[in-house]
Amino acid sequence: MSKPRVAFFDFASCEGCQLQIADLEEEVLDLISIVDVVSFREVMKEHSDDYDIAIIEGSINRPMDEERIKQIREKAKILVALGACAAIGGVNKIRNQWDAENVKKDVYGDAKINDNKYFDVYPTKAVDEVVKVDYYVYGCPINRDEFKKVVTSLVMGKKPEIPTYPVCVECKKNENVCLFELGKFCLGPITRAGCNAICPTNGSPCDGCRGILRKPEIECIQDVLDRYNLTYEEMKNRCIMYNYSKEECKNE
Amino acid sequence: MSKDLSINVHHVTRVEGHGNIVVDVKKGEIKQIQWQVPEAPRFFEAMLRGRHYDELRPITSRICGICSIGHSLASLKATEDALDIKISTQSQILRRLAINGENMQSHILHVGYLAVPDLLGVGSVFPLVGSKHQDALLKIVKLHRISNEMSDLICGRTTHPIRLIVGGFSMVPNKKQLMDLRKKLQDSIKPTKEVAEVILSVADKIPDFTRETEYIGLSSNEEYALYDGYINSTDTGAFKDYKNYTKMMQEYIVPQSTAKYAKHARKSYMVGALARYNLNSKQLHPLAQEVAKMFEFKPICFNPFMNNIAQLVEFVHNIEDSIIQVDKLLKKEIKDEKPIKPKKDSGQGVGVVEVPRGILVHDYTIKNNKCTKANCIIPTNQNHANIQHDMEEFVPQILDKSEKEIELNLEMLVRAYDPCISCSTHYLKVKFV
Amino acid sequence: MANVKIFSKKNLDAFVDSLIQDKKYEVVGVKSKGKRFAFDTIDSAEELRLDYDITILPPKKYFLPQYEKLMNYSLKEKFDVKPDNENKPRIIIGMHPYDIIALQQTDKYYLDEQKDDFYEKRRKNTIIIGVDIQNVSEHSFASSMNTHFTESGFDLMLTNIDNKYAVTIGSKKGEDLLNKYAKVDDAKLSDKEKINKLRQNLVSKYKKKVKVSGGKSWSSLLVANYENSIWAERSSKCLECSSCTMVCPTCFCYDVHDDLSLNLADGQRVRTWDGCLLKDFTKVGSGEVFRNDLKDRYRHRFFRKGNYLAERYDFIACVGCGRCAVACLPNIASPCDVINELSHFGGEDKPDKYFIKQETKIDEKGTIHVPRQATIKKIQKLTDSETLFELELNDKKPLGHKPGQFVELSIFGVGEAPFGISSPPSNEPTFDVVVRKVGNLTSKLFTLKVGDYVGIRGPLGNGFDVKQFEGKHIIFVSGGTGMIPMRSLIEHCLDKKNRDKYKYMKILYGAKRPSDVLFQDKISSWEKCKDVTCKLTVDSCQNGECWVGSVGLITNLFPKLQVEHIEPKNTMAVIIGPPVMFKFVIKCLQTLGVPEANILVSLERRMKCGVGKCGHCQINGVYCCKEGPVFNYSQIKNLPEAFK
Repeated sequence: MSKPRVAFFDFASCEGCQLQIADLEEEVLDLISIVDVVSFREVMKEHSDDYDIAIIEGSINRPMDEERIKQIREKAKILVALGACAAIGGVNKIRNQWDAENVKKDVYGDAKINDNKYFDVYPTKAVDEVVKVDYYVYGCPINRDEFKKVVTSLVMGKKPEIPTYPVCVECKKNENVCLFELGKFCLGPITRAGCNAICPTNGSPCDGCRGILRKPEIECIQDVLDRYNLTYEEMKNRCIMYNYSKEECKNE
Repeated sequence: MSKDLSINVHHVTRVEGHGNIVVDVKKGEIKQIQWQVPEAPRFFEAMLRGRHYDELRPITSRICGICSIGHSLASLKATEDALDIKISTQSQILRRLAINGENMQSHILHVGYLAVPDLLGVGSVFPLVGSKHQDALLKIVKLHRISNEMSDLICGRTTHPIRLIVGGFSMVPNKKQLMDLRKKLQDSIKPTKEVAEVILSVADKIPDFTRETEYIGLSSNEEYALYDGYINSTDTGAFKDYKNYTKMMQEYIVPQSTAKYAKHARKSYMVGALARYNLNSKQLHPLAQEVAKMFEFKPICFNPFMNNIAQLVEFVHNIEDSIIQVDKLLKKEIKDEKPIKPKKDSGQGVGVVEVPRGILVHDYTIKNNKCTKANCIIPTNQNHANIQHDMEEFVPQILDKSEKEIELNLEMLVRAYDPCISCSTHYLKVKFV
Repeated sequence: MANVKIFSKKNLDAFVDSLIQDKKYEVVGVKSKGKRFAFDTIDSAEELRLDYDITILPPKKYFLPQYEKLMNYSLKEKFDVKPDNENKPRIIIGMHPYDIIALQQTDKYYLDEQKDDFYEKRRKNTIIIGVDIQNVSEHSFASSMNTHFTESGFDLMLTNIDNKYAVTIGSKKGEDLLNKYAKVDDAKLSDKEKINKLRQNLVSKYKKKVKVSGGKSWSSLLVANYENSIWAERSSKCLECSSCTMVCPTCFCYDVHDDLSLNLADGQRVRTWDGCLLKDFTKVGSGEVFRNDLKDRYRHRFFRKGNYLAERYDFIACVGCGRCAVACLPNIASPCDVINELSHFGGEDKPDKYFIKQETKIDEKGTIHVPRQATIKKIQKLTDSETLFELELNDKKPLGHKPGQFVELSIFGVGEAPFGISSPPSNEPTFDVVVRKVGNLTSKLFTLKVGDYVGIRGPLGNGFDVKQFEGKHIIFVSGGTGMIPMRSLIEHCLDKKNRDKYKYMKILYGAKRPSDVLFQDKISSWEKCKDVTCKLTVDSCQNGECWVGSVGLITNLFPKLQVEHIEPKNTMAVIIGPPVMFKFVIKCLQTLGVPEANILVSLERRMKCGVGKCGHCQINGVYCCKEGPVFNYSQIKNLPEAFK
């Protein structure tokens, strides 16, 4: 059976997720033993338009990029969103709080950029807001072990099993001192696991980069917020970093 | 010679980010040479609007996946400068290790995976598997891994470092981990030398092109500057008034680029490993000096292609320096320290560091603990103009070669700079209400 | 009183240091971790903090690790499985009495007739040195659970009295350890009295007390208050993070998954902690979630500890350590608070109504985790969605199953799933499973060929006790895929050797559409047997589809059933089908006059381990994989979760 042909593409991103693949180090040799990497602009010159699996890093924020991703979707049998920017919008969505024209003016001032298609941006979209995404690798950046799990699953012909439970499960298994006990507010209880609770394990509260599982009702969380001197607004504000959602922040 | 040439390299490969090379020659006359930067702008300045000072580092780290430690450190320095926070000696040492780790990781990735394939005549490192160069490739991979393991240890994670926080660190390594690190660093010296030998054996493929250029970087009296120092120029000398950095780095917009251009004493200048080498080579540690000698590499070198050799030399220096820093931490027992708290809630601060690609500036204005104004000068931004001008001078010199060769040479020129294009498309002066 | 010695703090430290220096053992003790404490490997006695109040995680992590590699397998070799059972002898220093008691409880679950040999090995390899509590954790209510001290379950027990340490010897292993490594003196009577005094004084240090404890007290309160509004009220604050189960010393539910190495040459089967608070805990391949509402999941945990396990083992499966309360952000986890709140309401006379007491007879010996090799002998497509696989164990031993039992089938690298055995025992040495493609394992199975290997654990479950059918009429009611296991029972009863034991047999079968009908050919041959009637129905039939049976729900078949020659009191009924079917069919049978005690059902749940340990298949206090999947309706009808 021939190896699946894999192509990597990037949009509005920091390329940190693709770097994680280079960071597989010696295991990159294992990776290329099970798939044929036919396009990976960051590390190789060769490119082919004949691929089975397209792996996308980055969000879509321009019409020219929207065209590009649609072409890729047509060619690929399977499309994988790699990292928070592609999967849920990530930090790229923070600026969606404000009108695109307003933001452009703030950033580029009076510079004549309106005719320049490179600057023709609209509010950031996650990849699945433009085309169908078959599988997601969450995280900012992705967790290399999870990437390996997704790739091996796809090659084995099975659906990757991504956690649907919160970071707390992994954090407790790591026997971390809970950050709430240290007076910090952590989004772990409502964020999807799969990162092995890396941030709390390193002493830093979870920011929700893998996606919020469910926003708790205010009545449900009020006691907890009171105990840590936080308002519901402040909690929602923290969620904006990776999980901005227009519906929730209508009043901003 | 009447030659027609049309080169349009869309999204140059083996560089970080999206850049296009366009060359148009009709009947031997150069009509257009353009280095275009079509990278999607992400409006980081808008992202920082109104965010708490604790969030500035996590957000700006996401400007770039490869230099996320560098952005993090510049961000922290700017925040600490604004809020009057002086970090401890231990934190200073740990941050130097962090920046070394990033420099090492980035340089060996670029030199080994992205630049060397050109010298070996292949499109990427993948064909090297199973070839006579497989051994060298495995050594490069090993060195890359060790660099990452160092950053992972110090920062919790090398891409988007977790432990780097305002006022210090959220967690520090323990003695056993530091001793393991030291051994790893020590063990990486031999393979590094071997890789240098391999590169030396194909160094004749490095194009011989020079153009007198201004070089700007950090310098310091204490050390080969990466984490701390004063701004320095090969043309105009030391510039200690760091808060007025815009006097040194003057940015402007051009239509073919979503990233800005920069100039100072001439119409463009270069930053990065070559710049640092030209400014501070005497302060390199002994082994690094030896490697430089191997390549007959002397300051002041005006060949941008030698930037990759400068990166190799810095890699060696970083290993030696890291061993020195680890020894400092082992000598004076490493402790769990609480991060230093700010002395005020408002202020303006500037943080300047050297990241692998050059000098980086973050400038924040903080009011009531929230960011109201932000500006950044990205290394690659500062290089874009220089790339454009280098191309303009280089193309006529190689016009007699085949179209394929000219294309390859121009790509190699871009790669020599090790541009980080995602980073460069984000910053501008901005004011929020 | 037990043999007690005494030593100075200095000699205690020397004892610990010599244990460490003898590299034979991994020495684990309580260390400080930030502002809390945790069990960890110690390099010197200096690191020990025997004055701790409570550790973040209980010592269960040494017996049931957070991530435990059960076996290595190769994907290149056809079926190369190596159980991973290595572990180094270990000494744990500083276990508090409540944790020791929790471990003794866990022994009951894991060292039962279907022994977990991984757990057993770790238990045998570990020496336990306990310590009497010096500082009480603010959320702990151990004193009112009587777990603040213990006289058994340890090899040695240290008690801090007046800057010296008394050490109570609990076993020969402990005694030998002291003899080899320690300098001790005999304890005086006054020392022994001080130990008792210390334990008595401890009680007053506990701020939290539970109003009732011991015996069936929790059991009774809980069962009486199954529908109490307390569950909805408290769970409205629940974040579904399952931290409570992760830190609990008496929780032991687990999940198993297959990891693959990147080069796809090999992989590992890994066991990891799971939590019943998590949404997908009871989710099966077809997507159905059997305990979906948060309120139900929240309530389940308290019932598990205070009623289900309590009825099964005669102890309250909570030791009052308070870790759940420490870990729970909205502070709704403490059983102490829940029981105290419930104590205002009355108790229940029949606290065991959510549990079925049943003796399980286990024929299978050997490891419960490692599958045996089996070969696919035949593959037969039955319908568009179902395919039959005929299997045979490679060691040529018969599977030895009863109708109604199931097997856990493994494809290494993909996973493991339960399948009802479709063929009767007489088909041995081969046996059949019928598979519908719903998820990863089933999809992979569809790509395998004759001659390929799979892993089999089983036979599992209780199966049908066919003795009950002797001398009776039998009505078989199958809905959809229910016919798959039903076939095993029907063919067993129709077997020439057995047919005469039973009287009239009525086989009712409902499928979605004619193309979904399974075993059409077999059904035709059943009809030809003496005193056998088969009645089929489909939900709908398109134009052009060939169908001679009825159209409509399976309940429609009952009025047509000729029952004049059947005495309902002497009739057994068996129902296997989708959850929604049971209620209606049972009504039909009751209308016929069939007594409840004569109705058998086979239920489906997420059966993962198949041996009553992983916790996923629970129907209230009953393990579907052990006390079931075959149940007597009269037993199971009172279980609120049975037919939801």
